[in-house]
Amino acid sequence: MGMFSESVEVACTPSGLPLRLHWAGRQYTVCAEPVRWYERRQWWTEESRAPLGSGPGLVDHEIWRIQVRAAGQDAADHTVLTLDLSRHVGSGRWRLVRIHDALQPLRKTGTA
Amino acid sequence: MNFTHLHVSTAFSAHYGVSWPEELAAAAAADGATALACTDRDGLYGTVKHLKACMAAGLDAIVGVELAVFDDDGDLRTQLGGRVVVLAHGHNNGAGYRALCRLISDAHARTTGKAQGAVPVAVTRAELASRTLHPETLQPVLTVLIGPDSDVGRAMGGRRYLRPRTLFKRWLDAMPPGTLAAEVVSQLSPPGEPLSTAHAVRMLKLAAEHGVPAVLTNAVRYVAEDGAATADVLDSARTLKSLHELSAAPLLQPNGQGWLKSASRMLQLGKEIIHAAGYGTADLKRLLAQTEALADRCRMDPVADMGWKQPVVPEASVIGIDGDALAELTLRCEAGIGRRFPGISGEREQQMRNRLEHELRIIDSLGFASYFLTVAEVSRMILAMGVRAAARGSGASSLVNYLIDVSQVNPLQHDLIFERFLSRDRATLPDIDIDVESAERHNVYRKIFERFGAERVTLMSMQNGYRARGAVRDAGMALGMDDGEIGEIAKQLWRFSARHFREALVEKPELKEFADRVDQRGFGENQQLDLLVDLTERLDRLPRHISMHPCGVILGDATLLDRTPVQPSGLGLPMSQFDKHDMDPMGMLKLDVLGVRMQSAMAFAVREVIRLHPSKAEVVAAGAHPAGPDGAGPDYIAEDGHIDLNAVPLDDEPTFELIRSTHTLGCFQIESPGQRELIGKMAPREFNDLIIDISLFRPGPMKSDMVRPFLEHRHGFAPEVYPHPDLKPVLKETHGVTVFHEQILKTFDVMTGCGLARADEFRRALGNEVLEAQVEEFFRKEARARHYSPEVVDKVWGTLKAFGSFGFCKAHGAAFAVPTYQSAWLKAHHPEAFLAGLWEHDPGMYPKRLLVAEARRLGIPILALDINRSQAEYRVERVESGPDRGKLGIRLSLNGIFGLSGAELKRIVAGQPYDSLADLRARSRLSRPSIQRLAQLGAFDSLHRASGGAANRADLVQHLQKLQARPQRKGIEVIEGQLALPLGDVELKNLKAVLPAPSMVDNVRAELDLMAVDVSEHLMTSHRPLLDRLGVTTADRLLGLRNGTEVLVAGVRVATQTPPMRGGRRVVFISVDDGTGCVDSVFFHEAQEQAGSLLFGTRLLLIRGTTRRTGPRGISISANMAWDLSRPETLPFPETASGGAGQHEPCLPGPLPGPLDGISRNFAITGLGG
Repeated sequence: MGMFSESVEVACTPSGLPLRLHWAGRQYTVCAEPVRWYERRQWWTEESRAPLGSGPGLVDHEIWRIQVRAAGQDAADHTVLTLDLSRHVGSGRWRLVRIHDALQPLRKTGTA
Repeated sequence: MNFTHLHVSTAFSAHYGVSWPEELAAAAAADGATALACTDRDGLYGTVKHLKACMAAGLDAIVGVELAVFDDDGDLRTQLGGRVVVLAHGHNNGAGYRALCRLISDAHARTTGKAQGAVPVAVTRAELASRTLHPETLQPVLTVLIGPDSDVGRAMGGRRYLRPRTLFKRWLDAMPPGTLAAEVVSQLSPPGEPLSTAHAVRMLKLAAEHGVPAVLTNAVRYVAEDGAATADVLDSARTLKSLHELSAAPLLQPNGQGWLKSASRMLQLGKEIIHAAGYGTADLKRLLAQTEALADRCRMDPVADMGWKQPVVPEASVIGIDGDALAELTLRCEAGIGRRFPGISGEREQQMRNRLEHELRIIDSLGFASYFLTVAEVSRMILAMGVRAAARGSGASSLVNYLIDVSQVNPLQHDLIFERFLSRDRATLPDIDIDVESAERHNVYRKIFERFGAERVTLMSMQNGYRARGAVRDAGMALGMDDGEIGEIAKQLWRFSARHFREALVEKPELKEFADRVDQRGFGENQQLDLLVDLTERLDRLPRHISMHPCGVILGDATLLDRTPVQPSGLGLPMSQFDKHDMDPMGMLKLDVLGVRMQSAMAFAVREVIRLHPSKAEVVAAGAHPAGPDGAGPDYIAEDGHIDLNAVPLDDEPTFELIRSTHTLGCFQIESPGQRELIGKMAPREFNDLIIDISLFRPGPMKSDMVRPFLEHRHGFAPEVYPHPDLKPVLKETHGVTVFHEQILKTFDVMTGCGLARADEFRRALGNEVLEAQVEEFFRKEARARHYSPEVVDKVWGTLKAFGSFGFCKAHGAAFAVPTYQSAWLKAHHPEAFLAGLWEHDPGMYPKRLLVAEARRLGIPILALDINRSQAEYRVERVESGPDRGKLGIRLSLNGIFGLSGAELKRIVAGQPYDSLADLRARSRLSRPSIQRLAQLGAFDSLHRASGGAANRADLVQHLQKLQARPQRKGIEVIEGQLALPLGDVELKNLKAVLPAPSMVDNVRAELDLMAVDVSEHLMTSHRPLLDRLGVTTADRLLGLRNGTEVLVAGVRVATQTPPMRGGRRVVFISVDDGTGCVDSVFFHEAQEQAGSLLFGTRLLLIRGTTRRTGPRGISISANMAWDLSRPETLPFPETASGGAGQHEPCLPGPLPGPLDGISRNFAITGLGG
């Protein structure tokens, strides 16, 4: 399992569920129902300011765990990838934070 | 779509909740909610504010509590099984609210009321069950929510299937049917963690299995996401662990989703949970419907359920009447007329009767007669205890209060307006404050509980919120910063609110260094400092804990404890969870019984006078009192010599002579340098002058320059100016200057005809952004309609606007002026007893040593410590020998000697008299250091003289030092009936005279070290030769100098003040005492620069300046330079003496020891900081 952060483009359904993503030059479609939660941040070490009124996103961030399969010209590849994406509350931008071993069933990650 | 939040903590959940009730209610209302719950931790601390906020926002209030429950399996006194939410059902005539109050009181009943008690606030399940049903109808009146933090919820983790079920079954078995609900909460934490959707699903299924209704909540701690970081810091403050430690535990909230989510988000949340449970739409509907059904059941009727704004006073039978309260009150007022107005007749009587009728009519229409009788009863009870008591505050505006002996001020004589105290337009219970002797306050409280019954009385509490220092400490702890470093930062924070920390960093010079460190970004430490500032601002004002209010006592009828939860206070007596802001909304009658040291000091003085002069004739002679009607002395002195201070006429000439002399050290309210200057200028001639003086000496009038024009008009230097002749009667007593609230009321009334009651409402609106504009509009329109010219209207409105917000209520001034006058009266007639009282109770702003200097100035002998004569308190004594023979002196007390324990003190006094040191050692079992210190202070000098020994105090001290520490022996057993052989003190007699006797400087030093008082002589005396060489003028000779004379003065600093001044430039007042009196000096801007660091840091000062005459008997110094007397090399010796200056330098004591600290104190009453 890797742990890094990389920008990805995500297209969502009208109700806000991830549908497709564009990552590292490839297209993927979401192939299973995503799971979503809010995960704590160690904001007191990661941030240098925490003024009143900073709004959402200081203490936690939204995490989506999705399973995707390659789409478009790579559609022949049937490998299922499990990815954890974070969505920034303010900007709505998505980042890839974790890639899970493709063959492992979805389960809770040990690290947070 | 409507959703009601049933589980919400407000900021009043100390160290837990983040948002204020007003914020929560406003947010809920904005989202379209129709009701909102407040379920603070452990009590109803925020409930009344919540109720108020809900009413303002148009919501129905739901009230409840979040309580810990003892673990049935564990130790029932300490082990907790989790927390549950308990909601009161509404619209049942208060049955739900009553049960809730009693339940919370149960939860606190076993705690000690002290911080860090071993017993937590919690109920047993049995207690909880017993409160859930109506005692008569047996219908449920409370609902208990079993949620994520309950024992059931906490057992949800992992893969345990059975444990939560077993625990849930126990609840079902223990609780009556219909009193339980399952609380389903998902804060969308990571799968499998507490507050995750998975846990919510388990709770939902558990409820379904057992047919218990499930409700959806969000366990709210903050109104919006932004509060989550504050909640983290509060968790850290509560658990005393850093965020880092908490996060590793893990004990922090799993994320920041515990906010007051909108109805649509809650619906979405419900959908997610139902979906995850594999349920369908019908189940979602049921979950939301059950939530709303419970919400509906718990909507409170503020009036019928909680007694909103319905005053409750003790039952008539308790205050000893069985008829109509108003009839009784009228009767008592009639009886008071004979006492208060003997021989009144004619027009005066008519006036008085009109006023009485007017007041009684208003009291009747408000139904407050029994309130007045209650206060009268408390007042009577206190006086019957032999404790001095005086009403204070606007209560002095009432003739009824005067007639029933609650107040000592005649409102007719001082033209006080009843409407300022009570009016038909303001149906709130009025405040009557009673000042009692500070030393007796707790006894008075206990007596009130005894008199009215513990079911009718409780102490009021107060909320203690975060201020800058506490906030920075807790923020620092959360960040894991070093204690010492945080301590250093905290020390520099002074007098600004934490909310403005970042602004203060820019503005305050004392924070400059810290600000610079914050500014250097890019380093780990500075990131931390930046966060520290933000977190400190977040904590600002949040409640930390409640404590006993310094004076509030709540009196009610037998249902009081159904209307407020109580918990033990530090004093042991129960304390309400409601604070002063909650009193009026909850219809609670609060009495302020305030301990005032001056009252103790005066009571002490009166007792000393009787002890010394046990008959009327002796007191009259000693105090030079007038001969009175029959030549045997005035009526206010009883046959046994007791002085009834409250009966002393307010026109005693020697008293005003003393006040005008400005020698008012020790007198209530008028002893500060600023006040002495003001009374010097004003030269009060009558009691009303004192009222004006006290009202003028306040920040508002001082800042807005009301004092100078007042004085100019008073002394006729400038013609009085009135905005309009109609206002002359209103403003005449203060020469055209508006000083009192009463004058503002009358001005409104004169110019608009609005009546005094409405005028008081207008006065209250002044300074309020919204309401003031309406008042202005009304005032201008009505005044114009009455043909006042636009100029007059403009001018008067300007005055009202400016002075209305900070003017002073004349009734307050009058009530304050009574003890002021009484203390001055005592000082004028019985100065020895009065000073002894001051030393004993220390009521004033000055260090005790200044009052010793005052005794010296008055020629009152100060009698040294004596092992056989000194008591545990100061005593006035007739001097038996020496040059002062026949005079009254004050014997020093054994209390307050450094290192002497309370137990030792008791044993010494119990064993007096002693015939030898051996006797003392044997019977008082004093520690060796204590004996040594007593010897140093000369406590054995008389024993020593009696023994006929030749040695001196120094020899004795050395002898005691050399004695080997012997094993502690038991006291010598004297067989009963056997007389000790009168051998005298062999030990003292045989002491060798070796050492030179200690010098006066040594003795004074010992006294300062051990008692903080220079008794043998003034500590400036040893500097006298030096001062004479410098040509220093003493305080007693200043008054003889012309205005503008250049002088040098010197002395020990006794007070430093920086009162607020017009224009904002700081002015520093420094008073020094030189043994002949006090010199008040003022340092303006330039002098402050000249004096530099000496301004605040130096104790012994030499000051150069010019005299300023402040009045016929007042003089002060306008300083231009200051020196430190303890550094002789810096002193400005006259040119001629410069050659020999270094040669015969007197032996100067070095920097003086600690006892001189504590010279600046705050003026609690005037609000002028020291």
